[in-house]
Amino acid sequence: MVLIATIFVLVTGGVYLLLQRSMVRAVFGIGLLSHAANFVLLTSGVPGWRDEPLTNVSSTYTAADPLPQAFVLTAIVITLAATILMLAMSVIGHNDDMYRHPDTGESHEA
Amino acid sequence: MLLPLALAILAATLLLTPLLTRALGRNSGWVLAGVYLGVAALLVPVAMEVWSGRRPEWSIEWVPALGVTFALAADGLGIIFAGLALVIGAVVLAYSARYLAPGRQLSFFLVMVLFTLAMTGLVLASDLLVLFLCWELTSLASFLLIARSGHPGEAASMRTLFITFVGGVFLLLAVALTWTRTGTAELRAVFAHEVWASDPAFTTTVAVLVALAAMTKAAQFPFHVWLPDAMAAITPVSAYLHAAAVVKAGIFLLLRFSPLFHDVVAWEVLLLGSGLITTFVGGWFALQATDLKRLMAYSTVSQLGLIVIAIGVGTEAAIAAALIHTVTHALFKSGLFMMVGVVDHATHTRDLRRLPPKLYARMPVTFAVTTLGAASMAGLPPLLGFISKEAVLAATLETPGGAFWPWAVFVLTSASAVLTIGYCVKIVLGTFVDGPDHRRRVEPSDPLLVGAAALPILATAALVPVVGVLDTPVARGVTAALGGGGDDTHFYLWHGLTPELMATLLVLAAGVAIALRRRAVFRAVAARRFPFDGERVIAGLTNLLRHAGLWTGRLTGADDAGRQVLPVLGSLAGLGIVGTVIVADAGLPPQRENLSRPIDVVLLVLLTAAVVGVCVARIRLGAVVALASVGILATVQILALGAPDVALTQLLVESLSIIVIMLVLQKLPVRFPVRTRRNNLITLGVAVAVGASVAGLTWALNARRSRSALAEYFLEYTKELTGGYNVVNVILVEFRALDTLGELTVLGMAGVSMVAIFSTVRDRYLDPDRPDPAAVDPGTLPLRSDETSTAYRAITVAWSNTVPLHLMVRLVTPVLAIISVTLFWRGHNSPGGGFNAALVAAALVGLIYLSTSYDRSVGPPRLPIWLIAGGVVVAITTGLANLVLKGSFLQPIHWYIGELHLTTSLLFDVGVYAAVLGLIIFSFNLLGSTQESERGEATRERVDESAEGELAGPLETVRGERPGRVAVGSTFLHDDEAPREEGSRWS
Repeated sequence: MVLIATIFVLVTGGVYLLLQRSMVRAVFGIGLLSHAANFVLLTSGVPGWRDEPLTNVSSTYTAADPLPQAFVLTAIVITLAATILMLAMSVIGHNDDMYRHPDTGESHEA
Repeated sequence: MLLPLALAILAATLLLTPLLTRALGRNSGWVLAGVYLGVAALLVPVAMEVWSGRRPEWSIEWVPALGVTFALAADGLGIIFAGLALVIGAVVLAYSARYLAPGRQLSFFLVMVLFTLAMTGLVLASDLLVLFLCWELTSLASFLLIARSGHPGEAASMRTLFITFVGGVFLLLAVALTWTRTGTAELRAVFAHEVWASDPAFTTTVAVLVALAAMTKAAQFPFHVWLPDAMAAITPVSAYLHAAAVVKAGIFLLLRFSPLFHDVVAWEVLLLGSGLITTFVGGWFALQATDLKRLMAYSTVSQLGLIVIAIGVGTEAAIAAALIHTVTHALFKSGLFMMVGVVDHATHTRDLRRLPPKLYARMPVTFAVTTLGAASMAGLPPLLGFISKEAVLAATLETPGGAFWPWAVFVLTSASAVLTIGYCVKIVLGTFVDGPDHRRRVEPSDPLLVGAAALPILATAALVPVVGVLDTPVARGVTAALGGGGDDTHFYLWHGLTPELMATLLVLAAGVAIALRRRAVFRAVAARRFPFDGERVIAGLTNLLRHAGLWTGRLTGADDAGRQVLPVLGSLAGLGIVGTVIVADAGLPPQRENLSRPIDVVLLVLLTAAVVGVCVARIRLGAVVALASVGILATVQILALGAPDVALTQLLVESLSIIVIMLVLQKLPVRFPVRTRRNNLITLGVAVAVGASVAGLTWALNARRSRSALAEYFLEYTKELTGGYNVVNVILVEFRALDTLGELTVLGMAGVSMVAIFSTVRDRYLDPDRPDPAAVDPGTLPLRSDETSTAYRAITVAWSNTVPLHLMVRLVTPVLAIISVTLFWRGHNSPGGGFNAALVAAALVGLIYLSTSYDRSVGPPRLPIWLIAGGVVVAITTGLANLVLKGSFLQPIHWYIGELHLTTSLLFDVGVYAAVLGLIIFSFNLLGSTQESERGEATRERVDESAEGELAGPLETVRGERPGRVAVGSTFLHDDEAPREEGSRWS
C-alpha cells in the first residue's frame, strides 16, 4: 500500500518539525502529523473501495467506508482550531523561540 | 437511647451555633455552657448504669455494604472522658463569654462545639471506624482553632496538623490491620478476638502503631513539639486543648487499647521510655520559659509524661493513678490556663519579664487561686494533686522487670517532680512577686472571668475531703482499661509512711530550696539551651520535601516542547516498532487486494518533495509555501480515496490556515531560529523512528479485513432512515451528532481560549515595542525614491495593492455567498454541509478582510463571541428539543412539505456554521491587529473589545479583574496609586 509510505514521510517530517526550536515550525509539524493521522484513519476503512459514499451515485459494494471519513472531517476542523490557538500563542511577544521565552511580565520558578 | 441523644444534641447545637452567635455575640458562651452541662446531666443516668457494672450500648447501621455500624457504648473510660470534655468545656465556654472581645466570634464557638462533639463521639464510640473518624475530627478542630488566631498561628497550626495527621495515619493503619485481621470493627468483638493471643508479632505491630498515634496527640516526645505551638491560639482554646480535649484524646486512646496491650513488652517500653523523657524535657523547657502560656504548655507536656508512665506500668493501681491524675490535671490545668488569661487581660502581657512587681497585692483573688492550682500541680498536700501524684509514684514501684526497673522508674519520676515543683514556684513567684516592670498598669478584672477560671481549681481542693466519691468512677475506668478488675481502687489522703511520701517530702524540700535561690536557679537553667528544637526539625523536614518536589518538577519543568514530547514520542516509537514485530510474528491476515492506485505514487513523490521543503526551509515564507502545497496534495489524495466531503473541508481549511499563518508571520522574524547540525541529526533520528513505527502499525493493522459491518449498515440504511444520500454528512449531523456537538464546542472554545490567554498578558508584553523584524526599509531598496514611482508606491503604500482584490471582491462576494448557502442546503444529499458552508463563508470574510488596505476588525467587536455562543446554544437547544419530542438527544425530526425535505439537523448545522464562522473571525481580529498605521489597534485592545465592546485602549488587567477600572500604563500594582478609570492610552 503506497499510502503507508506517504504516512511515513508525513510522520517523519512532522516529528522532525515538532522538535524544533521555533514554535511556528512545531505548529507546522503538528499540521503534517494531523495529515498523517487522517490518512491512518482513512486506510482503516480499507482503500480498496474508493467510490464516494453517496448512495445515489455509488453502489453499496464499491463505496468507501463513510465512518472514517466522518471522523477525518471532524479531525480536520479540530486541527484548524488547534492550529489557530497554537499560532496565537506563538505570536505572544512577537517571538516564537521556545528556548528563550518572551517576557510576559510574569515570572515562574523553573 | 441517651447516648445518641447526647451526641444529637451536640450536633444540633453545632448547627444552631451560627444563629446563636448572631443573636447573642460572645454571650453565646453562657448558653453553650448551659447546653454542655445539660448534656452532661443527661449522661448521669448512663453513668449510674456504668458504675453499677453494666455497659449501655446503642447502634444503627451506617454503611451496611461495608459492615460499618454507628455503634456507641458507655463504659468507665468513656464516662470519665466525656464528663471532662463536657464539664471543662462548659467552664471554658463560660469563661470565654467574658474573655473574648465583644462580637460574634462565630468561628470560635463553632469549632469549639465541633471539638466537643468529636471528643464525646470518640470516647463513646464502640466501632473502630467511628473512633477513627472522631479522632481525625479532633485533629481538624484543633488545627482550625489554632489557625483562626491569624498570622502568628499559621506555621504553628500547620505543624499541629502535620503531627496530628501523622498520628492519624498510624491509627488508620492500626484500625485497618485490626479490621482485616479480626473481621470486625466492633470494639468488644475486636478485644475478644483470639488473634491477639495467638499472633504476638501482629499484636506488637498494632500496639506500636496505636502507641505512636496516641503519642502524637498526647504530645509525647518526640511529638511534643506541637503542643507549645498550640499556644498561638487564644487562652480559652489552650485551656480546653491542654486540659480536656486533644491531648486527653491521646491518653484516652492508650487506655482504650490497654486491655489488649498492657502486657506487651514493646508497649511498656515505648510508653515508659517516652513518658520519662517527655516529663523531663517538658519540665526543663517549662523552667526555661518566660512566657506564661508557653510555661503552662510545657508543664502540660511534662504532666502528660507522668500519665503515660503510669499507663505504661499498666497494673490496676497504675491505671487508676493515670485516671485520677488525668482528672486532676484537667481541673488544675484548665484553671491555671484561664488564670494566665486573667493576668494577661489585666496587665496586657504574659511575659514574666514584663509583669509588674508585687502583683499579688493588686490581684489577691487571682493570686490565691493560681497558688492553689500550682500547689495542686506540684503535688502539695492536702490537695487532689497530692493524692494523684502519690498514686502515680506508688504505681511506678509496680513497674514490671525485676528489682531494678521499678526503683529506677520510681527515682526518675520523683526526680522529674523536682522540675515540676520548680516551675510551679516559677509560676507563682514569677508572676505575682518578682515582676520587674514598675511602670506597667494593672486593669481591674471582670469578676465573672475570674470566677469561671477559679471553679476547676477550687474543685481540686473541694474534692479532697470527699475523695472517696472518685473511687467508683475510677474503678470502673480501670475495669474498662484492663478488661476487668479495678475493685480495689480507693483513694485516701493518708497512706502511712510510704516510699512515695518520703519522695514527696524530699521534693518539697528541694522546692523550698529552689524558691529561696530562684534567681540563680532559673538563670542557670535558662543558660542551658538545646542546640536544636522540634520547630527547626520540622522546618528542615518541610524544606527537604520542598526541595525534593522542586527537583522532581525540574525533570519536566522545561518550557520547550521538545523536552516534553520527546519521552512520549520515544515511547510511541518503541511501542510501535516492537508491537509491529510482535504482531507480524504472530501471523497476520492477508492484506486486501487493489489497495493502491497509480495516482498514490505520484502524490507520494510530490508530497515527499513538499515535506522536505517544509523541513529544510530557513525562511518562514518558504516553509509556508511548502506547507500549503502539502495541504493541497493531501486534498487531492483524500479526493482520490473517495471522500469528496473531506476533500472539500481539507481544501477550505487549508486556505484559511494559510491566511491565519500569514497574519502571524508578519509579527515574527523573517527566518527561523537555527540549531546545531548535531541536534538536527538527533531529531531526524527520532523522527524516522516514530515515522517507521506509525507506518509499521498502519501496515500491520489496517486494510486487512473486509468492509466493516458499520459501513455496510450506513450505506444500506441511510436513505431509508434519514432521507439523505450523503452518508458522511448524515453521520455528522444525525448518527454521530453528539461528536459534532463536542467538536463545534471545541472550535468555539479555541476562540474563547485565545481571548483568555491574551488577556493574561499586558499590552506591552503582547506587542513589544521593538522594531518590526520583518519590516523592510524602503530606503534600502534600489528604487527611485519619489512618490511618483509605481514600484516605490507598490511597496510603501498598501492601498494601491489592494485595488484589484477590492474590485474582485465585489464580483466574488455574491457568488461565494450563494455557494455557501447552496452547500449548506444540499449537505444532506451531496458534498457540503454546515462545516463546508461555514468555511466558504469564512473564506469570503477572509477575502474581504484581505482586500482592505489596513487592518480593521471584522464586524462589531463582539460579533465572534456571540456567533460562538449562539452556535453552541442553537445546537444544544436543537438537541434538547429533540430529546423532548423524540425521546433521544439530537435525534432529528423530519418533515416533508411536498418534495421539500426539512429536518432539525439543518438547525443543528446552523449551530455548526455559526461556531466555525465565529472562530475564524476571532482569528482574523486577534491575530491580524497591527499598530503600524494611525488607525491600528493593538492585539490586547482587540482582545478586550471582543469581550467588552468598544474601548478607548487596551486594559491593564491580567487576572480577569472587572474591566473599566485600570488603564494601560497605570502603575497601580507598583505604587498603590488609585487606578485611572476606563482604558485609554497614557499620552
